[in-house]
Amino acid sequence: MDNKEDKQIILVVDDAPLNIALLSNILSSSYKVKVATNGKKAIQIANTEPRPDLLLLDIMMPGMSGYEVCEKLKQDPATASIPVIFITAKTTEEDERHGFELGAVDYITKPISPVIVEARVKTQLSLKKNMEDLRKAYAIIETQKDRMQQELNVGRNIQLAMVPKDFPVNHNYSIFAALEPAREVGGDFYDAFVVDEEHICFCVGDVSGKGVPAALFMAMAKTLIKARASSDPSTASIVTHVNDEMSKDNEGCLFVTLFVCILNIRTGELLTTNAGHNPPLLKHMDGKITALSHRDGLVVAAMDGIAYSEQHVQLQKGDTLLLYTDGVTEADNLNEEFFGDDRLKRLLADWQDGPVKKLVENIIEATHAFEGDNRQADDITVLVLHYSGQKVDDEKSFDIEIGNELTNIDRVIEKFMEFSSANGISGKISNPICMAFDELLTNIISYAYVDGARHEIGIKVSLIQNAVVIVITDDGLPFNPFTREDPDTDLSIEERKIGGLGIHLVKNVMDEAYYKRHVDRNVITIVKNIEQAK
Amino acid sequence: METLFTEMNNCLIVIPRKRLDTNNSPEVAEKITEKIQDGEQKVVFDLGRTDYVSSAGLRVILVTAKLLKQKNGKMALCKANDQILEVLEISGFLSIVKHLGNLEEAVEFVCE
Repeated sequence: MDNKEDKQIILVVDDAPLNIALLSNILSSSYKVKVATNGKKAIQIANTEPRPDLLLLDIMMPGMSGYEVCEKLKQDPATASIPVIFITAKTTEEDERHGFELGAVDYITKPISPVIVEARVKTQLSLKKNMEDLRKAYAIIETQKDRMQQELNVGRNIQLAMVPKDFPVNHNYSIFAALEPAREVGGDFYDAFVVDEEHICFCVGDVSGKGVPAALFMAMAKTLIKARASSDPSTASIVTHVNDEMSKDNEGCLFVTLFVCILNIRTGELLTTNAGHNPPLLKHMDGKITALSHRDGLVVAAMDGIAYSEQHVQLQKGDTLLLYTDGVTEADNLNEEFFGDDRLKRLLADWQDGPVKKLVENIIEATHAFEGDNRQADDITVLVLHYSGQKVDDEKSFDIEIGNELTNIDRVIEKFMEFSSANGISGKISNPICMAFDELLTNIISYAYVDGARHEIGIKVSLIQNAVVIVITDDGLPFNPFTREDPDTDLSIEERKIGGLGIHLVKNVMDEAYYKRHVDRNVITIVKNIEQAK
Repeated sequence: METLFTEMNNCLIVIPRKRLDTNNSPEVAEKITEKIQDGEQKVVFDLGRTDYVSSAGLRVILVTAKLLKQKNGKMALCKANDQILEVLEISGFLSIVKHLGNLEEAVEFVCE
């Protein structure tokens, strides 16, 4: 549009040519003036592009009256937004009221004052312009909002896809977690996975910010923790590493609060590192609840080079550990009250042993019920671990290291036999274990080393909950003996070979037998149950 | 924990004490091989004083069985505890070597 066309258009409607002339005179210097001498013509012009920006409308006209014209224009969406100013000799209050009811924006009474006409027209036009600007802005906001919502949905999908729905199971513990994303996503997450036969790792975190960036940040945190935990038994070291990685190139200045735990499922020893997260609650069998409120360092990704610490917590049989994010305790209702720590503690206190899933669901339900109609503002994440194992008595375990010579196997057997008689382990249990020692250690000493150098083999024996657990560690060639094919035990005397038979025996006489490559070491774990001895 | 070797009715009685494992089996195998090569045709393993037998011990039993088979000899096991019996069972050895409850029966069996 060029400048001439840029002038705003005023439509003057009056049956008296003199009035038209007068108004045109007043307005034509600033506006483009169109005229109509009757209502029908006025509506026609109002519907012709470019439409007038404002109407000056006489009321008393032959045929269609000004009121009727106004009414018609207001009924048609195409013309409804054109402001109408009545110009009339009618001056009663009733007339004005009727005019405003029909949608007029102003009322100018005859005789016309040029100054007043100019001023009122100018006011109405600038109001109209403001309205249009607002409408445009609103439309922009609406599209932006849609786009943002889409982005938030993508973020939520990433978030929900990243957290596990299946949880590790074992007779020593049960664990369950759930995450309820807020409408506008926060970056909560949790994880729970098996590290090795003795350890599980679980964590809860909350990324600052929302949408895709927060979701990706959360995915990064979760992935780094899991990758690191596979070869790092210390939560302090894991979080220190994750923090260093995530502090790099963190231009968005996002950060994440973390609570990371590694549980030794056999001994109940729990390692925890808290990086700026809400203190988890620990409920003991006697019902007493304590908060694990120690802080081990700053939120993660804020600053690299921080050395985090870790805490040792001894879980007892029957202990329940509750991890959560602030979406739970800071959930608020319409009275602007917070859900708070006390309500959470009460829920935990009231919970009698049962499936941990139920406790998680109880807490989430209670949070929702508390919020009422107040929309969930932040993600809600709850993770519950119930420990049902028993602490190992230190006296009921021993460690021994031997060099890689076959004759050293006797030392292990001797020590184990002393341990067995001290703990009342019968031959029924100790004989197969001795045999397993002989097989496994012979294997390691004979085949794991190719350099002819001296190596140490570590052996740990523990008596836990009616089971003897043995962990054998060596730094030899990576080799999983338990993947060896079973020998054919149906062959005749002539065809028989002994190779592979030993491992076959171990697998059969033990109740559990696992292998894991742990960084640069082979770790073999065998378990012999005392109650259900074969 | 040496393995004892005695004779009974012209049979070689092998009595492993405590265990038959990686460390003591080679010596036992060597001794039995020697005896069979010297003409021994009947061997009984008395496992009454043995706590456990590992695959190295099974190897001794297998070597003995193979050698005796070549020489038309005969062998038997006796008095194994439940855990050793389980090992013999799992390894399939009970299908190639006879096990009897006491020494007399075992000797009788190899002398038949």
